[in-house]
Amino acid sequence: MNHDEAKQILLLYRPGTTDAEDPDTAAALSLAKADPELSRWLEAHCARQTALREKFRQLPVLAGLKEQIISEEAAKAKAASRREKIVGLSAVAAIIIALMTIGFLVLPHKPAAPEVNTTLAEYKSEMAGRALSYYGMDLTTNDAAQIQAYLAKNQAPSDYALPAALQKVAMTGCAIQSWQNSRASMICFNTGKLPQGGQHSDLWLFVVDRTTVKDSPLIASPQFDQVNGLTTVAWTQGNNLYLLGAKSDEGTLKKFL
Amino acid sequence: MAEDVDFENLVTRHYGPLYQFAFSLTRDEAEACDLTQQTFCIWATKGHQLRDITKVKTWLFTTLHREFLGSRRRQTRFPHVELEYAAAELPVVSPATINQLDSEQLLQALGQLDEIYRAAVMLFYLEDHSYNEIAEILGIPLGTVKSRLTRGLEKLHHLLTNIQTPPQS
Repeated sequence: MNHDEAKQILLLYRPGTTDAEDPDTAAALSLAKADPELSRWLEAHCARQTALREKFRQLPVLAGLKEQIISEEAAKAKAASRREKIVGLSAVAAIIIALMTIGFLVLPHKPAAPEVNTTLAEYKSEMAGRALSYYGMDLTTNDAAQIQAYLAKNQAPSDYALPAALQKVAMTGCAIQSWQNSRASMICFNTGKLPQGGQHSDLWLFVVDRTTVKDSPLIASPQFDQVNGLTTVAWTQGNNLYLLGAKSDEGTLKKFL
Repeated sequence: MAEDVDFENLVTRHYGPLYQFAFSLTRDEAEACDLTQQTFCIWATKGHQLRDITKVKTWLFTTLHREFLGSRRRQTRFPHVELEYAAAELPVVSPATINQLDSEQLLQALGQLDEIYRAAVMLFYLEDHSYNEIAEILGIPLGTVKSRLTRGLEKLHHLLTNIQTPPQS
């Protein structure tokens, strides 16, 4: 490497950088140490390079650029995060809808319970009318167990509990009455006061699911009433609503409770 | 890993030199601003792919330069020119003259440089990029970097000697 070649290489030399690690530059710098003229030239050159480098770094930068970059990137990140949330929620909603659809199609349906609008007064009126009108018993027997079994077999209330006094009265049979899309058990009794050869029953007990009557929960204690010429007493016990009716006075009816 | 780089710190550290480099390429404030912002936008989405954290600066300048080339739709390869050892000696510009230059005058001189020299010269002075880094950023061979720098510096110094500077008080 001669003097001119070294100078050419050192044209690109910047003091204080990694340029000296370049083998050609390192060789040219070594030569400059031994060459006074080249050394003087290099010194002046380095001063120019340093000054020029400082000038380049002082070139103006647009005000507010940094804040603009950071705020726009933050806004993008926020929007992306919102999109991810929406996608996530949509996926969850889609899964729920799919599961509900599958459940609706696959699982057996239980019909919705009918809305109960009938009152106890309406129930009593309806059942009193059936007791007083001509009716045919579904089962004619004085066997309480048979009656209960028959009612159970035909999905009518059979889990009733008779008051102790009523258990002593002779049964004559039973019938199943339809009531509000449900069934009411009608158990017929003969108090022994009926004339021979006439009507078989003079006392009737109706048992129905208490939820089929709107205000039945309010009659936990026996409630007497006169309905269409029939004396009635109603009470609830467990899930059942009981209605006992007879063509007699309230005092007589009380004896059967 | 690049995921560990705080975006705000990264912008704070590099947005100035990147903008200056972009401005030297485009000579347009708005375009330089867009290029700088686009570079950081690309970092936000692809920066995590960079495995060597020490290469962040080079990555940013490379990306900005690629975006510049893309925006100009000029993907032509510049011819490789070997270093000419017989090049003329640089015109002598004194440090005092350089110190009296204002930014406008320096930008004016830069603007008169051919584009292929301007990018190399800016990278050479701006951030002390090594020759290899400049080669990587511009996507050209090391020899071409040196030849462009030699020619570019020669032209720049020549332009600076012709600039009238006010007399020192």
